Amino acid sequence: MRKRVKKNMRVLKELLYLRFHGLVVFRLDFFGPFFVDGSLFFIQLFAFEAVYSNVTTIGGWGRGEMILYIGTFSLLNAVNMTIYFFGVNGIPDKVKSGELDLYLTKPVSPLFRLTFEHMSPGSVPLILMSVCMIVYGAGHLNANSEIVRVQEEAVRQFSDSRLVGALPAERIAAYVFWVLIMEILYYEMEVLMRSVSLYLVSMARMEQIEVAGTDLCMKLPGIAFYGIYKVIFYMILPYGIMATLPVQSLIGEMNWRLGIFGVSIVLVFSVLTVVVWKRGLKHYNSASS
Amino acid sequence: MNHMSHTVVRTEGLVKKYRRYKKKEGIRGSIVSLWKRDYEEKIAVNQIDLSIEEGEFVGLIGHNGAGKTTLIKMLTGIIAPTEGTIDVLGYYPNDLKNEFKKQYAVVMGQKSQLFFELTVNDTLRLFKEIYEIPEREFQENKNYFVDLFGVKDLMDVQVRTLSLGERMKMELIVALLHNPRILFLDEPTIGLDAVASRQIRRFLKEINEQRGTTIILTSHYMEDIKALCKRTVVINHGIKIYDGATEELFEKYQRNKRVTVTFGNPAGDFVPKTYTAVLAEADSHKKIYEVSKQYAKELLSELMEHEPEDIVVEEEEIGVVVERIYQEGKP
Repeated sequence: MRKRVKKNMRVLKELLYLRFHGLVVFRLDFFGPFFVDGSLFFIQLFAFEAVYSNVTTIGGWGRGEMILYIGTFSLLNAVNMTIYFFGVNGIPDKVKSGELDLYLTKPVSPLFRLTFEHMSPGSVPLILMSVCMIVYGAGHLNANSEIVRVQEEAVRQFSDSRLVGALPAERIAAYVFWVLIMEILYYEMEVLMRSVSLYLVSMARMEQIEVAGTDLCMKLPGIAFYGIYKVIFYMILPYGIMATLPVQSLIGEMNWRLGIFGVSIVLVFSVLTVVVWKRGLKHYNSASS
Repeated sequence: MNHMSHTVVRTEGLVKKYRRYKKKEGIRGSIVSLWKRDYEEKIAVNQIDLSIEEGEFVGLIGHNGAGKTTLIKMLTGIIAPTEGTIDVLGYYPNDLKNEFKKQYAVVMGQKSQLFFELTVNDTLRLFKEIYEIPEREFQENKNYFVDLFGVKDLMDVQVRTLSLGERMKMELIVALLHNPRILFLDEPTIGLDAVASRQIRRFLKEINEQRGTTIILTSHYMEDIKALCKRTVVINHGIKIYDGATEELFEKYQRNKRVTVTFGNPAGDFVPKTYTAVLAEADSHKKIYEVSKQYAKELLSELMEHEPEDIVVEEEEIGVVVERIYQEGKP
């Protein structure tokens, strides 16, 4: 296992090196993703501004929480764009053209290679912009929110500065943990959608479901969904929890039930992704020469 | 250095079936097909038994759609067989085990494993890591193949600027870098000119003889098969119709000779008496005859009586022979 991880790290380093060299050949390829993703980022901000000029809260969340939410979703999306989107997105084309054949015959996981073959360093500034937005959002949290109350309570009761800092650090660690596992969930959703191409010749625009789901959930946090919509966006297309759970963990709205639910969803989708991908490879018929 | 020590490929009753969708023509057919689908079963490979020893150079020939590439894809694990048993180097290929994949290489004439925007040297570094080749072995193998293929000056140029022939040499270097025990080649000379094809053939021969690499080659070009493969397997409609010596195959189906005779003066209209001799082409000073192999000598004697300036005897055009193999070998 350790040997395999070490090998994969070396392959990853070479893929990154090759990708960088490939990208600098065509400057537009390098900077293009930044402009495309950057425009999406600003569209999000403008949409957010428009919504909050008409309402004061969404599902109980104020402006600060929503900035934090949008920043978190942008961060998930920026990491996705930087690391794996362009690789995973190419899977259906590779299946259709039979190019996947060459991945299957090499002694490295085809999915690993596909995932990291088209990394996009041009999207890195978006990660930084998202982090800035998260920091800004954290500084403008609603005065009624749990985190602010806890902080104020801590300051009032204890003069020991170590204790005041301890609680937010714990929350920040929890937030980082949730961002990481939600990034995995995001990746799994992308792979799952594209794995359909291993079973069906035509994907019938399956990616549109993803576009619609992420588009909606970038603007609306999971706490705003009720009834069937909650079932859909929490359990079937879990885009609704991707940025919601990290934010909830940071602002103190996370409880054990929600935590177990979030981890369970990630585990279920992990197993589903492995099974669908592996069975898909067995199902793969390659393209006629 | 051929070892011929043990079997590296063994299949028994190997079958690959595909299901393909059929639709009646027109809009009505399209609408009906939305609810009621008709499928037909296509048997791409049918009951193929095959055994290949280490160090062999085997040619796989057949029409388009005969099942050659499907067979290669099953042997390399790309697709799973529908029925039958398959064993390559002791593995079931479709298990896609990395230990198995390290022992073979595949080159597909129509699919490139090179990165077009990068140099070949860049691609080789990636494959070094993928195959976990120690640095020293990597350098030795790289130098060996770069010298063999005479491509030293091309290693640092963008792949997209290489000619088709140069690119195929690079594909072979990438494939051979990890010393595979079996090399699968699917139409490696497709689209290449005569000079490049000849070069590739020479290299493959050397790799098979010097390194003992087992090579399984599919090609539409009989020149490849004749020049390289001692053994040929002919597949027609998924069924193996011949498996044996290449020489015997051509001996069996190459029945005619082509005789070109040139005269100093206009040749006139004489008709040779030799049995089976047929005039194929003619002009005032030259005539081309086709004649059965066993009567070629008789035709030559007869033509010599007319005091020709030159006579050239050639083998029958290879395309005609191939057509005959497929026609007469129909299952």
